[in-house]
Amino acid sequence: MSSELLDTAGTLLRKLRSSYDELAVMINGIDSVMVKIVNNNVALKYSRKSYNVGLYLVKGRKVLILESSTSDLNQLSRAADDISKYVHIIEESELYAPLPEPRQVKPLGNLVDGNVVKYMGEPAKLCEVLINSAVNEGVERVSGILSLGVRSKALVSSNGFEGFEVGSEVSTYLRVFKGDYSGHWAYGSRFLDLKSIEDVGRTAAQYASYAKGFIDIPPGRYDVILSPLVVGNLMELVVSMTSAFNVLAGFSMFISKSLGDVVATDKLTLADVPRDIELSGSTSFDDEGVETYNKELISRGSLKTLLHNSKTARKFNTVSTGNAGWITPRPWNIAVAPGDSDVDEMVREVRNGLLISNNWYTRLQNYVEGAFSTVSRDAVLVIRDGEVVGNARRVRIADNLSRLLSNIWLVGRKCYLIKWWEVEVPSKVPYILVKDLNITKPFE
Amino acid sequence: MSEDLLNYVVDYSRSLGVKYSEARYQLDKYFTIILRNGKLVTLGTSINDGVGIRLVYDNVLTFSATNKLGRDELVGIVRDAVSRARATTHLVKTPTRFSDDVVSRGSYEVIPTKDFNSLDISEKVKLLAELHEVIVSSVKEVKVPTTYCEYVEHIQEKLIVNSDGGFVRGRVPRLLIILNLVLHHPQKGSIQRIIEFGASGGLELIDEWDLFKVVEEEVKNLEKSLVEGVEPPKEPVDVVLGPEVVGIIVHESAGHPMEADRILGRESAQAGESYVKPEYVGSYRIGSEYVTVVEDPTIPRSYGYYEYDDECIKARPRYLYKEGIIYEPLHNRQTAYVFGTRSNGSSRAMDYASEPLIRMSNTYFKPGDMEFEELIEDIGLGVYIKSYMEWNIDDIRWNQRYVGLESYLIVNGELRGYVRNPVLELTTAGLYSKVVGVDKNLRFYPGTCGKGDPPQGVPVWFGGPNIRLSKVRLGVTV
Repeated sequence: MSSELLDTAGTLLRKLRSSYDELAVMINGIDSVMVKIVNNNVALKYSRKSYNVGLYLVKGRKVLILESSTSDLNQLSRAADDISKYVHIIEESELYAPLPEPRQVKPLGNLVDGNVVKYMGEPAKLCEVLINSAVNEGVERVSGILSLGVRSKALVSSNGFEGFEVGSEVSTYLRVFKGDYSGHWAYGSRFLDLKSIEDVGRTAAQYASYAKGFIDIPPGRYDVILSPLVVGNLMELVVSMTSAFNVLAGFSMFISKSLGDVVATDKLTLADVPRDIELSGSTSFDDEGVETYNKELISRGSLKTLLHNSKTARKFNTVSTGNAGWITPRPWNIAVAPGDSDVDEMVREVRNGLLISNNWYTRLQNYVEGAFSTVSRDAVLVIRDGEVVGNARRVRIADNLSRLLSNIWLVGRKCYLIKWWEVEVPSKVPYILVKDLNITKPFE
Repeated sequence: MSEDLLNYVVDYSRSLGVKYSEARYQLDKYFTIILRNGKLVTLGTSINDGVGIRLVYDNVLTFSATNKLGRDELVGIVRDAVSRARATTHLVKTPTRFSDDVVSRGSYEVIPTKDFNSLDISEKVKLLAELHEVIVSSVKEVKVPTTYCEYVEHIQEKLIVNSDGGFVRGRVPRLLIILNLVLHHPQKGSIQRIIEFGASGGLELIDEWDLFKVVEEEVKNLEKSLVEGVEPPKEPVDVVLGPEVVGIIVHESAGHPMEADRILGRESAQAGESYVKPEYVGSYRIGSEYVTVVEDPTIPRSYGYYEYDDECIKARPRYLYKEGIIYEPLHNRQTAYVFGTRSNGSSRAMDYASEPLIRMSNTYFKPGDMEFEELIEDIGLGVYIKSYMEWNIDDIRWNQRYVGLESYLIVNGELRGYVRNPVLELTTAGLYSKVVGVDKNLRFYPGTCGKGDPPQGVPVWFGGPNIRLSKVRLGVTV
C-alpha cells in the first residue's frame, strides 16, 4: 500500500511541479468498520473505504489549498489548474513561510495491530463482548459504538520530503441505563485489548449502579472530581487554545499570555504526545514533513509552548513544533501527566462536592477570557464529608477555564485511554479534583 | 455520476436478497477564503464526492460508502455489506422496518441570481477585508485585538435512487460568511462576537444581507455593552428575547427533542435522548398558547432548503409544537414505522460518506402580529436580550442556558442602557410556559447542526420573532 500511495502522490507532484514555487501532496486513506448499538441491539453496520488527496500550493508567497476525494489524477490536475487561476489576482498570504527543509524522521515502528484488522471482518464478536460486559453487571439498556479501522497517509513535497505511515485504531464507548440512572465510559487506542473493551461496559455499568437516590443540591461552589471523560473534554479545549493559529484568530485564552506565565496550579502538566503509539493520533511526521516530538504545553502550571507549524512559528519568531496543519497547527494526542492520588482518596478529601462522570456541550461566552459552561450527563455523585451520599440530576459547570486550571487540587495516578464523541483527540487522562467550581441549575 | 450505475447497484443488491436498497451519489464542493485582521491567509477548494449505499438485509441495516466510483468497486461494497450483515444478524433483536410511504420521483434546484463566478476572487477578498475596516473604524474607546473571517461557497448535488422506485436529483448552492471579532477595553475586559450570514443562493445574498451596515451597527452596540453594561436586575423581571436568541432556543429545545430517533433512543450514546415520550404526541402541554414552532425545509432561499429528503420523501412544513402542545415529531421511514405513521421527509446526510439521519432544516417560532414597541410598552423594568454567545442544553433537551451578549435594560416600555452577560437558565417547560407575547418580526440565522457518529454537520436555519417571557430570574456569569 505504501508504494501505491506514494507513487500516486509523487506522480501528482511531478505533474504540477512546474506551475508552483512550492507544493506538497498528502493522501489519506481510510478503511473502517463501525457498529452502532442501540438498546442492546445492533442498529447499524457502517463501513467506509476512501482516499482523500490534499494539495498545498504556493506561488509568489500566495498560498492555495485543494482537497479532493477523487483519486483520478487528471481530475485533480484540472482542479489544481482551476485554483491556480487565482494566483495572479490575490495578495500574498499574511502567514506565508517556506516549507521546512526535510530532515531525517525517526519512524514510530509497527502501528498496525493484526487483531484490529482481524476483527474488522467479524466485529459482531467484539460487540457481544462489549454488550455482555455491561449487561452482566445488571444494567437494562446498552447503547454505543464500536469502531475499528486502518488509516494510512502519504506525504511528498517539492523540497524532497517523502513519508508514509499506516496505523490501526480501535475506539468504543458505551452508555448504559438502569432505571433512572445511567453511566458512560470510553476507550481509544491503536491496539485492541479485550480487557479494555470489557472495562468500557463494566465501568459504565458501575456508574449506572451508583443508585443511592437523588438529592436536590443548590447551585453554588463545590469541590468537583472530574472523571477522565470530563478531563478529556475540557483539556481538548485548553489544548486547542494552544494552537498558535487559534491565538492569532481570537479563539484562545492564551492571547494575552507569554511563555512562562503561570496558567494553572503546579499539579498540572499537559502535553501533546505524538510519539505515544498507544494513542491513535500518533504520527512520526506532520503535514509539512517535520518530525514530531512529545512536548509539554503546560509544565507544572506554566505555559511552556504553543503548537506551531512553520507559518505560525515565523509569526511568533520561533520554530515549528511538528504540529502542522498546513494552516492551523493541531495536537496529535493529548496527555495529562499522572499525579499521586486516586479517586478514592479524592472522594475522602471532599467535604462538600460532586463527582461528575461525564459531560457534553461545552461552549464559551468568550474564548479570550475563558468564560465557559458545560453540562453533566450520566452519573453525578454527591459527596459529603468524604463519602458518596447520593446522586444529583443534571447540573452545569459554569465557570472560567483559567480559574478551573488554577484550582486543580489533586491529579490521579492512573491515566485512561479515552476517545469518544466529546473527546475527539485521543487522550490519556486521569481523574482530577478541582476546588470551588461554580455549579448552576435552571431557576425553574 | 450516471443514474444507470446507481440503478444497477440497487438492482444488484436486490438480486442478493436485500430487502431495501438505496444508492446516493453526493458531491459537496467548497470554496473558502480565510482572512485575519483583513489580510488574506489562504484560499481553498474542497471537492468531496462518492456514493453511500444503505441496505436492509436479513433485518440488519447497513451503510457503506466509497469514493471509488467504478461498477466493480460499488458491487464489491454491496457484497461486503451483505456478508457483514449476515454475520451480525444474530445480534439484531429489533428488525429494521420502513413505513409504507409513497416515495417520489422528482428534482429541485436553487438557481442563484448572481452566480459565484460573477465576482472576481480579488473583489471577494477586497470585500471581506473591508469588513475588517468597518469593524475597526466603528469603535471609539476600545481596541480590536483581532478579527477573523471565513467566506464559504458550497455547492451540494445529490442523486438518489432506491428499491421502492424513488428517484431524486437535487442541487443547492449556499453561501456562508463567519466573522469573529474581539473588542478589548483596558479596565472593562473584553467582549467576543461570532456573526454568521448564511442562506442558499448566490452572490446576490451579499447585497441582501447589507453586511457593512449590519456589522457596523452591531460593533457600535457591542462597544457600548462592554463599556457601559451593568448587571441584570436581581429580582424576576419580564425578559424579551430577540429573534437570534429565540432561534437557538427553538432549535435546541423544540427541534432536537422532537426528532423521533432521539425519542426512541437511537442517539442515546451520542447526542442523547429526549424528554418527549411517544405518548406525549398530540396531547402534552409544553408551553403557553403563544408557542407554535414550525420546521420547514421548503422555505425558498433558506440555508436548510430541500424539496425531497434522502429517502425520496416529499418535504413539507411540520408543526413541532402547536399552540403550546407537542404536535408532530420529525420522522424518517424507520421511525415512522415504529410510530405507526408516515415519514414527513426529515432524512438527510451531510455527505456521501454519511448515513441519512433525521435532521432539522429550518426551525422557527411562529410570529404574531404585534410591533416590537407594543411587545415592550407595558414593561416597567425588564431586559431585552438581542444576541448571545454561550449556550448549551442537557442531553434530554430540558435544562438549557443562554448567555446574552448585546442586551438592554427596558425601563417604562423603552430600551435604556446596556446589560452585560445576562444568563437565562430555565427548563424547557419553564421557558415556554412563560411566553406571554410574540411580535411579528421574523428573522432567520444560519447554523451547522451536529448529530450522529461519525459526526455530521448539516446546514440549518433557525429563527423567530421577538418574544416576551413573564417574570424570569436572570443569572450572571462568574
